[in-house]
Amino acid sequence: MAQKYVIIGGSAGSFQVVTQILSALPANYDLPIFLCLHRLKHIRTGFIEALSIKSMLPIVEPDDKEHIRSGTIYLAPANYHMYIELGNTIALSTEPSINHSRPSIDLSFISASYSYKEKLIGIILSGANKDGAQGLKAVKESGGIAVVQSPDECQVKTMTMAAIKATQVDHILNTQQIIDFLKKLN
Amino acid sequence: MQVEKDDILRIIDTIKKASSYDFTDYSEKSFARRIEKILIDTKLDIEGLIKQLKSSKEFLEHIVKEITVNTTELFRDPKMWHTIKYRILPRFQEQDTINIWHAGCSTGQEVYSMSILLNEMNMLDKCNIFASDLNLDALEIAKRGEYKYRFNVEYIDNFNKVIRQNPYNFEEVIDIPFTKYFDIDLTKDLLKAKPILKQKPIYRKQDLVREDNVFYTKFDIIFCRNVLIYFNYDLQNRIFENFHKNLFNKGTLILGIHESMLGPVSSKYIKKGMYYLKK
Repeated sequence: MAQKYVIIGGSAGSFQVVTQILSALPANYDLPIFLCLHRLKHIRTGFIEALSIKSMLPIVEPDDKEHIRSGTIYLAPANYHMYIELGNTIALSTEPSINHSRPSIDLSFISASYSYKEKLIGIILSGANKDGAQGLKAVKESGGIAVVQSPDECQVKTMTMAAIKATQVDHILNTQQIIDFLKKLN
Repeated sequence: MQVEKDDILRIIDTIKKASSYDFTDYSEKSFARRIEKILIDTKLDIEGLIKQLKSSKEFLEHIVKEITVNTTELFRDPKMWHTIKYRILPRFQEQDTINIWHAGCSTGQEVYSMSILLNEMNMLDKCNIFASDLNLDALEIAKRGEYKYRFNVEYIDNFNKVIRQNPYNFEEVIDIPFTKYFDIDLTKDLLKAKPILKQKPIYRKQDLVREDNVFYTKFDIIFCRNVLIYFNYDLQNRIFENFHKNLFNKGTLILGIHESMLGPVSSKYIKKGMYYLKK
């Protein structure tokens, strides 16, 4: 199984960034990547298709209790919280929204940081609310690496600013630097 | 706050000894998360929680309701409802009666969704509709059929997608307004189900963990969506066995769109895309 795991959270303005990142990763990219992205309520479908067009790696919206595999990208399904659990499995839940969000970035990040500790890289992208700040803090506190997209580059900087305020992040990077960073981990 | 495994086991044991509820085969992490939330909400610590569970039956009932998840919505996942409308229900069109069970119906939105669909397909009259849940408060809301309007605007979006649009023919728009089935009361901020939707369903309390079937009939269709995700493999398997026993031949089992049947029991069903048929 992979030595490292990547979790990415984003909201408003993050879709293009995620697309750029995914399209730049090679087909032999080995690290599992978890994507927890807020979507507009009326655009719940078609999202995975749009991401898949650009990616050489398989992207799935996982089922509950699905086993995590290398080289796969897991997109939190619309309207569910996605937890990354010990034993390399995914758990879904329909518990109420947190900070108006389901999936909640905080919940996904906190569960992944508990499971993967220092093996986890957490990345917060553009977004218009504060979801993810507590999650990135948990990543950092568990020994993982905390990365934030450079607020200057973000379409909406609220989410990255909140994350930077909540924890001492390791790297503040623009999209191209995030891509280079992720490639070096492989 | 991270609840330790020992604490979880003690809480499960306390509830088991003081009541009929058994959370032994709940998904451990999911149970832990609910307990963490309860500790924050009640401002109790583990010892305080256990003490109260032992001393007050009412408190215990309240906590059980807090542990179980009650989220649901009208026509949740429209594409599943399209499958029901165009793939599943047509198979039952010639049948004289259709027995439907909503297992874990929570506050009833799914029961109302199905009733609307059945009525639009002229099949409601010949259906027997049964619905069960562990939570009596949720069942009361289900019977009343009143939901907040302001926070649930997506109910109307979902309704339009499922009832008014044909995914196989985008040019067809079916002219049926939401208000045919729900009154919108803006002053009270409520959506109220109309009487036609309330005549059929029979609601009963059932604990899926220890009761097989409280309706004493078999079913053509069983709904159990986003309920079993909170259970571990063994309990899921047991419940799939139970559904198998209580389905008619070729009966249909409908799960949440991100749930799948794992383990030995899956050989007793045929997976048909988004739903399962009893072999």
